[in-house]
Amino acid sequence: MTESRNPGISSISQTAQAHPESCSPAVEMDPVEYTLRKRLPRKLPKRRNDVYVNMKTDFRAQLARCQKLLEGGGHREICVHGLGLAINRAINIALQLQASSQGVLQLAANTSTVELVDDLEPEDPDEAAEPMTRTRNNSAIHIKVFYPDPQ
Amino acid sequence: MFTGCGVVSGQNQYLSRDAVRPHPGLDVNRAIQMENGVASGTCSVYQDQTYCNTGQPAVVNNSSNLLKPTTVQVPPPAIKLGQEGFKKVCRTEEDSPCPFPGLASGVLEMRVKEGSKIRNLMGFAMARMQGEKGVSGGSVSSDGLRQVVFTGSGRAVTKTITCAEIMKRKVGSLHQLTKLRYKVVKEVWESSEGETSEMTVHRTVPSISILLSKDPLDPQEPGYQPPETLSALWEEKEGVGSGVSQTATCKRPLGPLGPLPYSSFHQCKRVCLGEGVSVLPPH
Repeated sequence: MTESRNPGISSISQTAQAHPESCSPAVEMDPVEYTLRKRLPRKLPKRRNDVYVNMKTDFRAQLARCQKLLEGGGHREICVHGLGLAINRAINIALQLQASSQGVLQLAANTSTVELVDDLEPEDPDEAAEPMTRTRNNSAIHIKVFYPDPQ
Repeated sequence: MFTGCGVVSGQNQYLSRDAVRPHPGLDVNRAIQMENGVASGTCSVYQDQTYCNTGQPAVVNNSSNLLKPTTVQVPPPAIKLGQEGFKKVCRTEEDSPCPFPGLASGVLEMRVKEGSKIRNLMGFAMARMQGEKGVSGGSVSSDGLRQVVFTGSGRAVTKTITCAEIMKRKVGSLHQLTKLRYKVVKEVWESSEGETSEMTVHRTVPSISILLSKDPLDPQEPGYQPPETLSALWEEKEGVGSGVSQTATCKRPLGPLGPLPYSSFHQCKRVCLGEGVSVLPPH
């Protein structure tokens, strides 16, 4: 196994054959090259007044969409969600909405942790390595932008 | 020429330059520029530092040499400065009132910055919240602080949330109150020409403040999150302020997929809609 993987070190590995026990764990630890594929976040609830902010769409377009929902769409409240890097943008959108409403709109922010899954696929299909998955956490924010109830 | 060499001899970089320079006549011209050079040199400390970094000969550093032909070196910095126009001299965050009115003054405030290491922040904050026993003779702090505030702005916002999330997970049953706002940052930019022209820029950056408390907080407050809720926002939907905590407590047993908040949303929402009235009474 060692020889096939590292032909260059075959001469050394012959000496290593003398104590295969100590050698074999090293072979397993041998870091196989993986491609890291990030899965999409878990399925998200999507109502009409949910806005998921991303970093690909133009900021103004996302802001305009929120404004449209609040003003033209007749929604009294919308939810702006941001995950990871998009948290900043989500906050920005919410604060911009509030500022442009002359302080009428109120914000209620909640934070959460979202579990994300990465796939690790071995680069070389000949390798005996199995595809792995790795989970990690990322922070998210959910900002409710709403007109307070007249009381 | 001679005097020039003598003065500059402290800086060997310049020695060679001076030696190469063939025309003493240049000195006269440079000497006239010197006045400008001095003026810019004395008023711009920060510029000099940047030049040290860029590897440019930073002549102006040695203010003692300024009266002598060392000002020969001024032109290259001036060119360099012209490319950038203005330099940021200082950045101050304007003091803003505490976002949590009525908070005790002794609350631990963790100011999360862009470069802060989460392990440092959390190591400190967790020790204070859990309380170290027997640190100094013991019996001083039995169970640690009751409340902690994490604040951060700009690019540190994500890190701030992460810190709060980690603490919620580790400490458990913490009430949370999140506030968003713009923070005004004052930046002073100085003209590179050194003509004492300064620009003050007021920038607004989004900032977040998260209060985590072991004691109950006002559930009516916007941005309140009861302990151990993974999807509090969607439950709030039903009534803006009222019955947030009740609906939340009803929700928890319903969500069997604990760590997967999103997958359980639809279910939660449906239940909420269906028994919109009956959610409140169990309290």
